[in-house]
Amino acid sequence: MTETLAPVFHRVGNRRHEYVLVPEGRRPWHRRRLPWIGRHWLAWRGGYNPKTLQRERRLSDKRPLWWFLGLGGLGVSAAVLPDTLLQVALVFCVFAAINVIWTLIIGAAGILSLATMAVVGLAGYGAAAANVYLGIPWPLMFLVGGCVGLLAGGLLALPSTRIDGLYYALLTIGVAEICRASISQIRALAPQNSSINNVGSFIPQDWYLQRPGLLLGFAASFVVLLAALLLFRLVNSERLGLQLQAAREDEEFSEAVGIDYRRARLMVFLVSSAALGVIGAFYAMLYRSISLNVFSLDQLLLMFAMIVIGGMGRAEGAVIGTAIVVVIDRALIDLGPGRIILIAAVMILVTLTTHHGLADVRTQFRGWRNRLKSERRAARTRKGGEVMPEEATEIDDKQQIAYRRFDKRLRDRLKALITPELIEEHRAAPLGPHSDALARVLNYFRRGDMPDKYAILQDGPPQGWTYTVMALSGEPGKPPRVVDDRVYDTRDEAYHAVFLLRVNDLLES
Amino acid sequence: MDATLIVYALNLSAIYALMAIGISLLWSSIGMLNMAHGATFAVAGYGALVVGDALLPGIDAALRGSGWLPFVRLAVLMAAGIGSGALFGAVVYLLAFLPIHDKANFPVRGLIVTLAINLATVQTLLWFFGPRQQALPSIFGFGRLELFGVPIRYDQATTIIATAILLGAALLWLRLSRKGLEIRAMMQNPEGAALSGISVRRTALPVMAVTGALAGAAAVLLSQSVYVSPGAGATPLIKGMIIALLGGLGSVPGAAVAALLIGTLEAITGEIPFLGQRMVLLVQFGFIILVLIIRPRGIGGLLDETRK
Repeated sequence: MTETLAPVFHRVGNRRHEYVLVPEGRRPWHRRRLPWIGRHWLAWRGGYNPKTLQRERRLSDKRPLWWFLGLGGLGVSAAVLPDTLLQVALVFCVFAAINVIWTLIIGAAGILSLATMAVVGLAGYGAAAANVYLGIPWPLMFLVGGCVGLLAGGLLALPSTRIDGLYYALLTIGVAEICRASISQIRALAPQNSSINNVGSFIPQDWYLQRPGLLLGFAASFVVLLAALLLFRLVNSERLGLQLQAAREDEEFSEAVGIDYRRARLMVFLVSSAALGVIGAFYAMLYRSISLNVFSLDQLLLMFAMIVIGGMGRAEGAVIGTAIVVVIDRALIDLGPGRIILIAAVMILVTLTTHHGLADVRTQFRGWRNRLKSERRAARTRKGGEVMPEEATEIDDKQQIAYRRFDKRLRDRLKALITPELIEEHRAAPLGPHSDALARVLNYFRRGDMPDKYAILQDGPPQGWTYTVMALSGEPGKPPRVVDDRVYDTRDEAYHAVFLLRVNDLLES
Repeated sequence: MDATLIVYALNLSAIYALMAIGISLLWSSIGMLNMAHGATFAVAGYGALVVGDALLPGIDAALRGSGWLPFVRLAVLMAAGIGSGALFGAVVYLLAFLPIHDKANFPVRGLIVTLAINLATVQTLLWFFGPRQQALPSIFGFGRLELFGVPIRYDQATTIIATAILLGAALLWLRLSRKGLEIRAMMQNPEGAALSGISVRRTALPVMAVTGALAGAAAVLLSQSVYVSPGAGATPLIKGMIIALLGGLGSVPGAAVAALLIGTLEAITGEIPFLGQRMVLLVQFGFIILVLIIRPRGIGGLLDETRK
């Protein structure tokens, strides 16, 4: 009867790996903040661990660290990269900036617009024309680009309120085509082969195409990427982004609560278009020229591949996807047209296997792993009331767990005791002297919980009592319920009926 | 307004109709937007080219001087184009439809996978055949014939008649055959069709093969007047998509009407001296945006139920 139980340790709890610091408890905690903004650098949470009796600090959101490592690594390593790779890094920064803002349009505003390169190109042409034909100095080109972007965004936003989803996406694919066709028609804009050259820039003329020029260009693109990420953060995590998230979760409810999500979408779209315009002007300045290549459908599809591979809707996705595609496209140039086939293959692989792109792979994996765990848990034989280790962490009163375990073991032993002879013994003498086994069984029954405990109702005239079985409700004021419609003539029969019901319940539990 | 204009408009509408009806049919029956249609177009053009180069010299020698020769050449080229289009449609089915049609987020993911297939195929064609444009062997030559006093070029006549026959055949198949009945059931109500025992997977393959075949036919017919090149599918794809949008993505009659409208618009715009050929795309786009602003679900919203 007493078997030694070997201790089994189960990995419990759902908490992922958190960084935990154990500082000296006496020292006060000075949390540093960003200079003027007042936000903390990292989201440390202080707490007390009752098991180890120590004060702890936990960090569960490690994303700022990954961003810092990735971007910092890129910025620092750029100084030592050879010219070709530096060019690749430069292109990566510009495209990543465009894609981050595109993610703002697709993710936050929820407008599936494929006209990003059209806006960038239009603003680039506008800024370049202003500089070359109107003599506007290069610092003001950013302003011109932003205004052109804003205008283009306004024009594009008009149909987006009436036309939705995939329809709008297909329409915007054609917009770039139209821009290309129209600009190539306007002779005044670009006399030879529709490109504007000798655009003023922050890179001095003699530095252009030399190493110092490349470094300056990379530094500027890096700053542009950081600015785009900052804009994404400012829009996505502040009021506009939160309103739009509410609208994404439940449109009617958010409207009922008073959130004007249409206006919020429009605002985000306009802000993003203005930002794309600024990047367009920067693009013209970086290459000191702008040509119709910026409108090409292949370039647009490549950018779309970047955000698809990374995952639409997250800034990390835009950056990761851009990195992968730019590296394949620019660094592996020896493969020739095989590069594009490789990019398309990666795109297909990522779309077929992941739900929301590469940036979301961890969440998808965790969901899959949790599903497997719960399937395995359900497939294990039913423990019949005993508490699973995974549930034990959620129950506060540990005495309950011990009691449920004891109860289960008791029931298992009593089930072994119940035989037809036992039942016959009870039928013969419901109240009379009982054997040890029957006494144990009856003791267990009599100790049962009040809710749903069987009782006997004695009814009728004194000459002919009748007995029926009822079940107590256990709540004060609530009457007992009738179990079945069998009526017994003698009390012994009623006792035995109650015993049979209780035995049945025991065997079924 | 001249009768040649009408013929020109009909010619354009026929080709657009082939592309747009394919796209609309696919969306309304299985809910997938096939961006690889452009690749199907290019592949079919090259398929016809390869088969034509292999078979036509022999046929020319055998049937020299016979009046049947042009029709046989037409039949061979069309068969090659339709065959390769259907085959490529089956490939797209295997890659883009089968793995994800019952998983999360299917419309967007289907769009992305077909886009990737488009990219990869164009690059592969570029690799194999080189970037040069190549001409399909001409079928009827470059003459004209007179029909009711209206001069029609041979290739225009071929296009209009062949399209009418092909679309008629496709519609008859949809209406009369068992598979066509199943496809129409899926277009009306996908869950009801599944409950009636119509397997989505088994029905999607013929649909994709048929739409691929239509695109292949369009490629062969268009290549009579335009060259075959790897990037040849891009413009027909965009135009086909936009016309399908105008017609309402789920509605096949809408797509036909829209193709007629756009073809006529293009022909008329070409004639107006003020606008000319250059502004064609802009005018078409403006028209489509206008219609979509007034009726966000396209022309098909007027005609019948469209899948959302």
